[in-house]
Amino acid sequence: MEQTRPRRPLFQKYFVILFGAVIVPLIVSGASDAWFGFRDQSALVSNMLGVEARAAAEEIKSFLDGIVDQLGWTVQLPWSEGSEERHKYDLLRLMRQAPAIVDLIQVDGAGIEKMHLSRVAPDVVDSRIDRSNEDSVLGAVGSRVWYGPVTLHEGSEPYMTIAVAGSRVSAGVTIATVNLKLILEVMAGIRVGRSGDAFVVDRPGHLVAHPDISLVLRGVDDGTRATLQAMRIAALGAGGEAIATTDIQHRSVLVAVAPIAGPDWTVFAEDPIEEALAPIRAALWRTGFFLLSGGLFAAGLAYLLAYRLVVPIRKLEEGAKRIGAGQFDHKIAIATGDELEQLADRFNVMAGELALSQERSERIARLKRFLAPQVAELVERSGEESLLDGQRVEVVVVFCDLRGFTAFASSAGAEETMNVLRQYYAALGAIITQFEATLTNLAGDGLMMLMNAPVARADCAFAAVRMAAEMQQQVQALIVGWRRQGHTIGFGMGLAKGVATVGRIGYEGRLDYTAIGSVVNLASRLCGEARDAQILIDPAAAHEVATGVPLKSLGSRGIKGFGDEIEIHAVEWKEAATDDK
Amino acid sequence: MAWRQPIVATMALLSLCGGAAAQAPSKVFKIGFLIASPWDSRFFEPAITRAFADRGYILGTNLAFDIKAASGKLELLPALADELVADHVDLIMTRGYPSAVAAKERAAAVPVVVSGSGDPVATHLVMSLARPGANLTGVSEIAADLSAKRLQILKEAIPSLRTVAVLWNADDLAMTLRYNSSRDEATKLGVAIQPLGVHAPNDFAVAFAAMVRDPPDAIMMLTDALTILNRKRVVDFAAEHRIPAIFEGDSLVREGGLMSYGPDGAALLNRAVGLADRVLKGASPADLPLELPTKFVFAINLKAAKALGLDLPESIVLRADQVVE
Repeated sequence: MEQTRPRRPLFQKYFVILFGAVIVPLIVSGASDAWFGFRDQSALVSNMLGVEARAAAEEIKSFLDGIVDQLGWTVQLPWSEGSEERHKYDLLRLMRQAPAIVDLIQVDGAGIEKMHLSRVAPDVVDSRIDRSNEDSVLGAVGSRVWYGPVTLHEGSEPYMTIAVAGSRVSAGVTIATVNLKLILEVMAGIRVGRSGDAFVVDRPGHLVAHPDISLVLRGVDDGTRATLQAMRIAALGAGGEAIATTDIQHRSVLVAVAPIAGPDWTVFAEDPIEEALAPIRAALWRTGFFLLSGGLFAAGLAYLLAYRLVVPIRKLEEGAKRIGAGQFDHKIAIATGDELEQLADRFNVMAGELALSQERSERIARLKRFLAPQVAELVERSGEESLLDGQRVEVVVVFCDLRGFTAFASSAGAEETMNVLRQYYAALGAIITQFEATLTNLAGDGLMMLMNAPVARADCAFAAVRMAAEMQQQVQALIVGWRRQGHTIGFGMGLAKGVATVGRIGYEGRLDYTAIGSVVNLASRLCGEARDAQILIDPAAAHEVATGVPLKSLGSRGIKGFGDEIEIHAVEWKEAATDDK
Repeated sequence: MAWRQPIVATMALLSLCGGAAAQAPSKVFKIGFLIASPWDSRFFEPAITRAFADRGYILGTNLAFDIKAASGKLELLPALADELVADHVDLIMTRGYPSAVAAKERAAAVPVVVSGSGDPVATHLVMSLARPGANLTGVSEIAADLSAKRLQILKEAIPSLRTVAVLWNADDLAMTLRYNSSRDEATKLGVAIQPLGVHAPNDFAVAFAAMVRDPPDAIMMLTDALTILNRKRVVDFAAEHRIPAIFEGDSLVREGGLMSYGPDGAALLNRAVGLADRVLKGASPADLPLELPTKFVFAINLKAAKALGLDLPESIVLRADQVVE
């Protein structure tokens, strides 16, 4: 068997399956962990930002409410002759209390300015400026508290006007200019995440307060205002959920908003996405690490297991190959203690049995050189190879050859010659096998056969004569065909019975079984004497078969090598054959 | 040049050998101070050191001061600015308008944080508060406006006020602007101004002589390096001649002056250091808007008032953030 790589090697399969069995659940659990972790963290951050935005809005609202409350104290007294002093003291006290107020204007019930105090500008008393049509006065009279728009003082600092009206019209209105930079002190206490910000934007999109005061003081350009507007609308539309967006500092952030009702501001609480999702990133790294180490472990384990499984199988394959090649002494050494070891043991046992079987078949093949197959098997099975040892026994020797074959062979082509011999031996071989004769010699067209050796049989002469008759019958039938092709070929046989020395002769690997003795010479001479279609037998054989086979005496003849004349009989084989039928 | 006190903190070098070096950041920030007045090591230095410490800069560890004080000799400022540039300071902090101008003109490559420079927009020190441009940021005092406010306070404290002597350094543009502002306000209040512009310490004697000759109802002193240097003489003169005086900073009230009104110096200093911190962390001064004061301090010295025989009205006492009794 040629050693080729299998199309789908077992090692690969086992490795993939074992590796997959470990890594797939790992990946599934890691991925689901990461996904749910991401969702939980997003929800958590969103929630936190929402809470922080609302808390900041609450604080800023209470900062503004504090100012409004204090302004409320200044509009309790109605304006009347001589009340200026008390009003002024109220206002001065208020400015002491509320450092964010830079400027205070008080108007009477008719909207006429009575007093204007400032931290920066000189105070003005009783200027009598008519402010009754100003938005602040109208707004405050209409809804008690009025918040003005955010204005940038000197293009930088954010200021806002708050006007508060008294419950009685005659108490007038107090209009305060508030420096919104002081909200910074409120904002400073608000922390969003680790590096997040909370900041405040008014409705037109101006930055009102930001932990980075520089951003507020620098003012926002139209592009930034549009960005802030868009963020505000998107975040308000998200219904309390945080949204992911890009802020004015071009950071990717999660942002939640909360409105501040009075001045219509919006508080933004934003946290850089990077930081907000830092715990997730940590978890992802952790998962990744576990996946990697799990993967490595799984790969190692799978490799080891697949290796442990495949190595014995490779040994089995190698062993099978060697045994197949005839190396029966090969032992497959597997000590895994499992089915594979049992299988290897089976292989080893099989190799031993194969060795025995091959030895036997070789022996049979050797015997079949001169014994009929069934006799050979019989001899082999009995194990009595001593049968083949030299001994003197009474045998019947049969000779046969073709007449005129030498002349035919020298004139005919090799193919034709071989063709004739093939038909001849096919016919004779079948008959030898049938009669269990021992073929001792085969030379060209001549054959020598024995009966009663090495295997004894009771009626050996009868059997030999009948075999000869059968041979004549078969060969003569062939000869009819050969003659039709123009070949003049005949077939004669001789047969004698007597004691001969039989046994194996030859040397290692080239052993023949043969008979030696005068009976062999006699049979050979008789065969030589025989004409075409004649079977000549000696007196000993004739005496034995006379009762069962029609014989015809040809009288006594002198045979070369034999002193006395010997009476020769021809077997009337045509009649004998008919009898058999 | 014995008048110069260049105190370069070298403790940073020492700390390299000590154990403190382990936790100290490797970078030592070198702050150059360009100051028109003498270096104030009693109040200013501890205050600014504390303000820096609040932001993680420890003097002698990761912070060093390179102090150049002109002590009133304004003509020395450009050369001192050059010295700071040569010393490779990370940042220059100035006090006073002349030193801010010197730093802006002589140290264009070094970030400058100004303070005590009056109205930087009006003096064209910066383009605008929101976007100062160039290498300069800092805190503004809107002090020009406050001159008028001070005059109004004087008038309120002394309703009979007719003439006010204004003492200012006429060489300092920021101070002159303040003088102009108070002159305009005086007209509205119906008060006459006795202008006493000084140029050098010797001019104070001339100014005092003028006031002796023609006594004003009150003195208003504008604060700059020159007048601060001679404050003691002014306070003593006012006490001696029983003239009420108003100053800009509350420290002069603690030293015997009657009243002061001005931005909270400590808060401004803190903001200036805040801006310095931003610059040291890499922000460009041009992107950092100037900050205006949000807190103003009105201080009165009741002891001085009593000595002057002055009965301050209730509205004035009510205003006072600081009262020296």
